[in-house]
Amino acid sequence: MDIEALGNLVQLHGKAIYGFCYKLAGNKADTDDLYQETFLKAIEVRHKLDASQNPKGFLISIAVGLRKNNRRKWARRQRIAPIAELNEAVDKHSWPYSNETPEDAVLSQELRGMIQAAADRLDDRLRIPLYMHYTAEMSIDEVASALRIPSGTVKSRLSRAREAVKKMLEVESL
Amino acid sequence: MNESEKWDRLFKEALASTAEPDEELNERMLNRIKERSRRMPVFRKRISIAVLVAVCTLVMSITAVAATQFFNPKQVAEHLGKDILAKAFESKDAIEINQTVASGDYSYTLHGIVSGAGLEEMNSSAQTVNPARTYAVLSITRQDGKPMPATSDAEYGKVPFFVSPLIKGQKPWQVNIMTMHGGYSETVIDGIMYRLIECDGLEMFADRGVYLAVSSGESFYNSEAFAYNESTGEVKPNADYKGTSILFDLPLDKAKADHAKAEAYLKKMRNEPSPKTGADPETASNDAEADMVKKMDELKNKIPDGEIIPESVKEVTYDDLGRAIYEYDGWKSALSVDMLFTEGQTGYSDAVQFSEANGNYMALQFARDEKGVITGRVINLK
Repeated sequence: MDIEALGNLVQLHGKAIYGFCYKLAGNKADTDDLYQETFLKAIEVRHKLDASQNPKGFLISIAVGLRKNNRRKWARRQRIAPIAELNEAVDKHSWPYSNETPEDAVLSQELRGMIQAAADRLDDRLRIPLYMHYTAEMSIDEVASALRIPSGTVKSRLSRAREAVKKMLEVESL
Repeated sequence: MNESEKWDRLFKEALASTAEPDEELNERMLNRIKERSRRMPVFRKRISIAVLVAVCTLVMSITAVAATQFFNPKQVAEHLGKDILAKAFESKDAIEINQTVASGDYSYTLHGIVSGAGLEEMNSSAQTVNPARTYAVLSITRQDGKPMPATSDAEYGKVPFFVSPLIKGQKPWQVNIMTMHGGYSETVIDGIMYRLIECDGLEMFADRGVYLAVSSGESFYNSEAFAYNESTGEVKPNADYKGTSILFDLPLDKAKADHAKAEAYLKKMRNEPSPKTGADPETASNDAEADMVKKMDELKNKIPDGEIIPESVKEVTYDDLGRAIYEYDGWKSALSVDMLFTEGQTGYSDAVQFSEANGNYMALQFARDEKGVITGRVINLK
């Protein structure tokens, strides 16, 4: 893969990769770093990327790996970004579904924030497949292939993640 | 649409990201990749061929050990796909050196050097500005006889080496391979690491004295590895440096020195933005990281003199995900225990959170006792 091919890859998948990195990193500075590191790493292991049938999944898996390896680095940075802010956002809003069914609900900005905040509080094992599926729009099989786990495990983790988020939202509304 | 599908849709909408990389970021990143590719190409396919060649050579001429142990500069250049340069290393202008110095865990052999214009098929932007370039081949082997890690190995690059020409009379942190538009290509053949360095032509400095410096532990010039004497202009290895720190004298032809050209070159270099001032995004990013680490270290150092808020000292609780939850006066923290403590660790955690309001800093620190009870406390930093 040459620079031109990589440029095309950035054009094609850059937005999805960046969006995913943003979910993991939580702020622009760390997202910029993780995003750049992902492509720099991709160039180092380009022989694997060339062989991959799914470059987006491959790039996402690199981002996940980097984030895990650098967890202490990211964690150190997050320490100066107050987690309280996210929790505050959840605390301020009640769960609108207590009186409405999902059919009637309009997904408001507040509700988006609540789901996002709840998802962000999940353990990485549940959070990462959730973001891969919903943020990076990867299919169950693509997530399974990128994380090297069976599709059934991905389905189960997604289901547990959704349940955990719903539970958190219900608790917040009490 | 059933209940599950509706939730699926809700998650999709809620978790969709609107964040996008800006054009500048993409451009910066691609430039970094271009620069890295130029500086350090990885030649996997060539390596496997080279290993085969090396094995065949060994089988066919098993008695010729020492003389054929190393690839010569021409062969190294060929392996790196630089055919014109390979021929240049055979020319009368090339200087064969073959000097070996052992230092630390490694042995370093400077094989040869050649200077000239148009010695590469693909001219880089640096060559357009300074057509005369100098190339040198150095090899690195381990003293314990173990092979150097292959470029495909995860261990590769874990011990970084700095290989750079230094000019006598010039501050080495100012005039080195980085500022001389240099770079390197590297390959590992049969357990021997070969580095082909290149930079702007060195011959113009021949009358001043030119060294080839090698140090381990950093990819950039490390002032702990070398000492510069401002009055004599000499550079010397620092004997106290724990890693490698060696200097080869480059035997350049003094007849090719050009004092005026060298002065003009140095003057121009001084007027160019230094890579350390932020022109290089990688350095800039490292600087930002270093600043942040410095700031956090400063805050950490204030903790012993800080004032613990007595009401804030309390045991953490745990959520369903097993994370330690601490809450005090609107400051809520939810962190996994393994992020706070290593296995079996007691006492204070290295992980400290800081909060700032109106210039006043507070720290949240966790401690674990021998029974495994974790307590958090907020410390007012003065």
